[in-house]
Amino acid sequence: MTWLAETAPGASSLDQVYGLTPGVYEQFRELERGVWASPALDPTMLEVARLRIAKLVGCRPELERRSPEAVAAGLTEEKIASLAQWPSSPLYNARERLILAFTESYVIDAHSVTDELCERLNEQFSPAELSALTIAIAVFDAMARFRTALDA
Amino acid sequence: MRIPIPEGGMSLFDWQPELFATFNMFYGVLWSEGVLDQPTKEVGRIRNARVVDCGI
Repeated sequence: MTWLAETAPGASSLDQVYGLTPGVYEQFRELERGVWASPALDPTMLEVARLRIAKLVGCRPELERRSPEAVAAGLTEEKIASLAQWPSSPLYNARERLILAFTESYVIDAHSVTDELCERLNEQFSPAELSALTIAIAVFDAMARFRTALDA
Repeated sequence: MRIPIPEGGMSLFDWQPELFATFNMFYGVLWSEGVLDQPTKEVGRIRNARVVDCGI
């Protein structure tokens, strides 16, 4: 339940809070749809990045929900349950580990993205994939912080 | 530059032109609509840039 004194009509707490700025909300949702529709990255990879961000930021609503695109792509609850152990879990492959390392650096301190990490990312991903990934992380991070700050 | 800019492009965003166009639509609405005035938004933007230490 948000601490805002007024809310907009809406089915969810997010709709009620973000809906206070309907034009911005609609464009943000369009941006989210664009992220998930982009063919550059596997939905499973996007979802583990999104969930990791939700955990780091401490955003419960984003942690609890599942993106339908990732579920349809076969992401399991077992894999999600081991997300905190991604560096050593056999459920995560090399590409997913790189994405999660980059995601954590982005969220915690963007200056902590090292040249060595960038070199490994460039070995595994195309520039188009890395561009799409970074935009996706930015969108997920923004949503997690918005919801956390406003209890939306 | 950690990721090359595509040929004929101006920034890394040009690797994802459709996504970037959607982002620009969002950013445009963010600045042109709403109850906050432009100086207030700019103070927030600059403060965020300083906290993140983004020189751009």
